[in-house]
Amino acid sequence: MSRFGSLPRRLVHVVIVLFGITLVTFFLLRLIPGDPALAILGSSYTHARAQAIDSGLGLNRPIWSQYALFMNRLFHGSLGFSFFYHESATTVILNHIPPTLFLIAYSAVLAALISLPIGFFAGLRRGRAVDQVSRVFFTLSFAMPAFWLGIIFILIFSVHLPVFPISGFGSGLVGHLYYLFLPALTISLGFSTVLVRSLRTSTITTLRAEFVDTAQMKGIAWSQVLRRHVFRNAVLAVVAVYGVNLAYLISGTVLVENVFSLPGLGTLLVNSVSDRDYPVVQGVTLVFAVLIVGINLLTDVAQAALDPRIGQEIGT
Amino acid sequence: MSQGFRSRLLSAGVIALALTATACSSSSSSSGGGSSTSGTLSTLTIANAVKVDTLDPEANSVNESIWLDQNLYSRLLQPNATGTGLLPDLATSWTISNKGLTYTFHLRPNAEFSNGMPLTASDVVYSIQRSRAFKGGWGFLLTPVKTITAPDAHTVVITLSQPHAPLLADLAMYAYSVVPEKLVKAQGAAFFTHPVGSGPFMVTSYNPDTEVDLARNPHFYGITPKISKVKILIIPNDNTRVLELESKKVDVIENPPGNLVTEIDKTPGLSVQLFPSTRVDFIQLDEHYAPFKKAAVRQALNYAINRNAIVKLAYQGHAVPGASFMPYRMEFYDNSIRPYPYDPAKAKQLLAQAGYPHGFTTFLITVSGDVAGQAEAVVIKQELAAVGITVNIQSYELTTAYSKEDGGHSQMGERYWTNDIIDPDEVATFGADCQGGANAFSSYWCDTPTINAVNQARSELNSATRQQLYSQVQQAVYTQSPFIVVDYSPYRYGVGDWVHGFHATPLGNYDLSLETLTVSSH
Repeated sequence: MSRFGSLPRRLVHVVIVLFGITLVTFFLLRLIPGDPALAILGSSYTHARAQAIDSGLGLNRPIWSQYALFMNRLFHGSLGFSFFYHESATTVILNHIPPTLFLIAYSAVLAALISLPIGFFAGLRRGRAVDQVSRVFFTLSFAMPAFWLGIIFILIFSVHLPVFPISGFGSGLVGHLYYLFLPALTISLGFSTVLVRSLRTSTITTLRAEFVDTAQMKGIAWSQVLRRHVFRNAVLAVVAVYGVNLAYLISGTVLVENVFSLPGLGTLLVNSVSDRDYPVVQGVTLVFAVLIVGINLLTDVAQAALDPRIGQEIGT
Repeated sequence: MSQGFRSRLLSAGVIALALTATACSSSSSSSGGGSSTSGTLSTLTIANAVKVDTLDPEANSVNESIWLDQNLYSRLLQPNATGTGLLPDLATSWTISNKGLTYTFHLRPNAEFSNGMPLTASDVVYSIQRSRAFKGGWGFLLTPVKTITAPDAHTVVITLSQPHAPLLADLAMYAYSVVPEKLVKAQGAAFFTHPVGSGPFMVTSYNPDTEVDLARNPHFYGITPKISKVKILIIPNDNTRVLELESKKVDVIENPPGNLVTEIDKTPGLSVQLFPSTRVDFIQLDEHYAPFKKAAVRQALNYAINRNAIVKLAYQGHAVPGASFMPYRMEFYDNSIRPYPYDPAKAKQLLAQAGYPHGFTTFLITVSGDVAGQAEAVVIKQELAAVGITVNIQSYELTTAYSKEDGGHSQMGERYWTNDIIDPDEVATFGADCQGGANAFSSYWCDTPTINAVNQARSELNSATRQQLYSQVQQAVYTQSPFIVVDYSPYRYGVGDWVHGFHATPLGNYDLSLETLTVSSH
């Protein structure tokens, strides 16, 4: 069996999962007490006004016909019309994707930059200062909630030492990199803890492997052994951890988006649920689902590409 | 691979260096903010907590967006700064004839939209008709309106099927803002992402989730604002908003959290300013729950609650104990009504009289995340326990809480009211008329003399008679107490002392103050 033999079957799974998600989101959303009319009218709610809103939004039709309409629109590439923004839900969602995607990519890169060297050296110098200090530091930063850490960063780097902006997304690549530095750092510190700890462990395990001894006995320089044999194999074990946590990150940016006033998908989802903006909630959930399913798939593929044994395992 | 890794590390280092460099350079260049003359700045930056829902006045439901709209569009008339009367806006004068059935408005001959297009009577007619027809909108306010016509370019005539005293106040409402007929018809919904109005400011950039930029409208018929630009930033996180103000990157922030009010006041150069609002915080009592059917029980609850304690503990003293159910800053408010005194003994006596000497058990719905509301609930729970009533606090997300309170299966619920028009007709219909559509704030309290008075006041044009009728309504609600009026809470803004003249009216509008305020360099 080829290394990626299981791919077609995985793709079929993906389609089924996505279909299931539309179904669950659609009906769960309508089980929440309170409807869009109530969210729109608030204290000036009257039954007559609510009925007028419902008929305007098509919410007075039978629920199955609403679902059929939603799926029909979806196949034609439309998510419907946002109740709150009074424009196409697709446009609303597309406007909110860049900050979140940029933030996740930025955090992922920062996390890799922080954790790869530190995790590796902590493994090499097990029990020494690097190991102990990094253990304490990352355990602490992991324990700090993101919204609190974010505020502390703002206090230090934006108020007392006015180096970084407090909130906003900036414009242009450099602007985004500058504006999103503190939020990305906030996320990446929590993310790094997992990576540092697992890279440290896998480095220690790899150092004990027989092929390392063999390489050393062949007379290869220690720095070469570390680079070619230890680091490569140790990192491989961390790829799965990285992928799974990256998927979590997508839905977990909402707190950081709130602290730094970033108009991202997480914020949009939370607001849209309280506004009962059904088309937007359905759309964002679908985007999240696609991203998470996609990242999981990519992680499997990447692992299979890096390690032939894995491809055979998931292929059987 | 190792080579690749090394080069990636190197490029990462370069990015980090570049970041530091940009950070330093932009922090030195971003200060200022467009100074015009010596010592004064031309831009005012306001940080709001809530995103903009739309700039379409017929569809607005978010207060912050409504207040923003007032700067962009004009209406026939507008509320004055104290929220107790009306000022001319597009209409410079109007006459009422035919026993109150015909209103004739004379428009400013020189009114123009911000793109230079003349504003004519047909734009006014179109805008009012458009908002009237909006599903679930404010059309119901204008039910007695028979026709709206434009006999010439500067005259609008409205005829009614029956006299309707709140008409002028209704027309001064945001929903009846004037939009250019030609452009709205041509562009549809897209028009409202780059709208053209006739207010003092116009939109130059619109990002509903982050920032809306306004510039002075060169074609505005009124006085020229002293500032030339207004930036509205959306910063939902309370702490972040306060930090923006403390680092002087914004000039005004809305709704600083109660627990940071003292800190802001202590910061040199900053202060928290309170503006009386039309917000009335009250506790809903649903008459479907047996004990609340009895007026004596409802009165007992009023005596059992210490409003001064709630104002102090939940609102840090920044609220006024409530008396009448009508907002305390509006026409026809009855000053003679005083808040119920705190008198637990009297409460116990009333409960015994009503057949509940040992109290009863009930629940109180609160909104999760509403810090002041949660504190208020805890105080109420404790005080009612002292007279034998057990209160279980149930906390829900906002819309869920509303839906639990509205359906007629509720018991006690924390609610609030704010006016959309300056006339008492709206609050009286929603709060005191069980047939008005809102079941008297979902209390389901029905009192025929009160309903009659509300209806009569709507078509009564004599001011003194209306005062009398609305006093009667307020007295009835006070004594029969279908809900517990707790307090009147003001709008709260954090303002830098370099801003001179920021002011919000009881309806929340700040457009009048933006026309005259100044910003000094800081």
